[in-house]
Amino acid sequence: MSHIVFNEKRIDLKEGQTVLSALLDHGYRIPHSCCAGVCQTCMMQVLEGDVPASAQQGLKDTFKAQGYFLACSCTPETPMRITSIDVNTLRCVATVVDHQLFAEDVLHLRLKPELAFDYRAGQYITVWKDNTVGRNYSLASVAELDDCIELHIRRIPDGVISNWLHDEVRVGHQLTIQAATGNCFYLPGSPGQNMLLAGTGTGLAPLIGIARDALSQGHKGDIHLIHGGRQIDDLYLHETLVDMALTYRQFHYHANVLEAENVVPPISMNPLEQHITEVADDPADWRIYLCGDAPMVNTLKRKLFIAGASMGNIYTDPFVSANNVYDETA
Amino acid sequence: MSSLYDRIGGQSAVDTAVEVFYRKVLADDRINEFFDGVDMEQQINKQKGFLTMAFGGPNYYTDKDMREGHRHLVARGLSDSHVDAVIELLGETLQELGVAAEDIQSVADIANSVRDDVLNR
Repeated sequence: MSHIVFNEKRIDLKEGQTVLSALLDHGYRIPHSCCAGVCQTCMMQVLEGDVPASAQQGLKDTFKAQGYFLACSCTPETPMRITSIDVNTLRCVATVVDHQLFAEDVLHLRLKPELAFDYRAGQYITVWKDNTVGRNYSLASVAELDDCIELHIRRIPDGVISNWLHDEVRVGHQLTIQAATGNCFYLPGSPGQNMLLAGTGTGLAPLIGIARDALSQGHKGDIHLIHGGRQIDDLYLHETLVDMALTYRQFHYHANVLEAENVVPPISMNPLEQHITEVADDPADWRIYLCGDAPMVNTLKRKLFIAGASMGNIYTDPFVSANNVYDETA
Repeated sequence: MSSLYDRIGGQSAVDTAVEVFYRKVLADDRINEFFDGVDMEQQINKQKGFLTMAFGGPNYYTDKDMREGHRHLVARGLSDSHVDAVIELLGETLQELGVAAEDIQSVADIANSVRDDVLNR
């Protein structure tokens, strides 16, 4: 007979009892639905101890890497300390060390957190303006390579946070940020796999972080990054990416614009939907990262899946405005 | 004699079949409009549940779930012809995976058994 520790309380498990069943028996209201390891509603996170393989069957590898498991399919043989994953409310203070424009509407913000700040390139953090209003921004930096965390902030018309970050926040100011989360990041393990990273606008922030992370972890397969914008000016890291492609043989940069007089490679005016399957014409074994505007991310995901990509190999960071807004006063 | 679910290959057959099946569904112009705008990750989990049931495995759907889960689609015109298309694609999927013809028929029969609930009749 084993036990779990949840919210610092010890709960003994009956023979063959699942973690979900034990928690429910003790009156905890844990979200759950199918109780068959399928719907993933009851996903929790291990803090200490071994997760039985059956409790992670069918989970994305980036979920497994963070210790996520399904409580309904978990009958541990040894003790586990676990937590819910929806109550991650850790906040910390970070100082603005750099505040410059990449382009007219894209701010490059570098922050130095006061305390050690764990994250994986490609995850996102919440930046809080005050106790009730915050927005999610993806991380463009790589923890192992950069001493600061970097964000790309696009100015949104009437955007409370983006306009504040652009116009009022300055070097030396202190901001409140919240723990990194998200499952769109690089994992070593298949260094020869081809990678496709595609996104529009500031979807480039997580993509460049993931690309640099993969390169620094010794990824050998081809890494194709496609950045889409409305016009040439939207390709705000064009020079940097051209340089990266010259530096790393396995890194390839492509760009897309909708409006231009004439373009030369690596810029193309083919629709992004078409461009992705030209670059990845047989995506069955590719690892794919899609970031940016949510409808665009969903369109590309569907297109690549139908073309043969496996769902388990597609990682997305859709910028959803509704989910991107925290306004607890509303 | 082993059960249908075991003969097909149980949970691992579901995991293998689900992407093949869902890819066919999304590429099929007879039915793919019903999947516009749905979250693909959530949908693939639901498809796993459906395949598990159709393969004769554990069924955690109630009649009520089937009815409520499809009511909005019936309102958009979901009909017998669409259910037929789904069962056809399910058969093609299993054929590609090397499942015997009589087992494919049993799967089609199970899928057919929820037709009235799906169509809210």
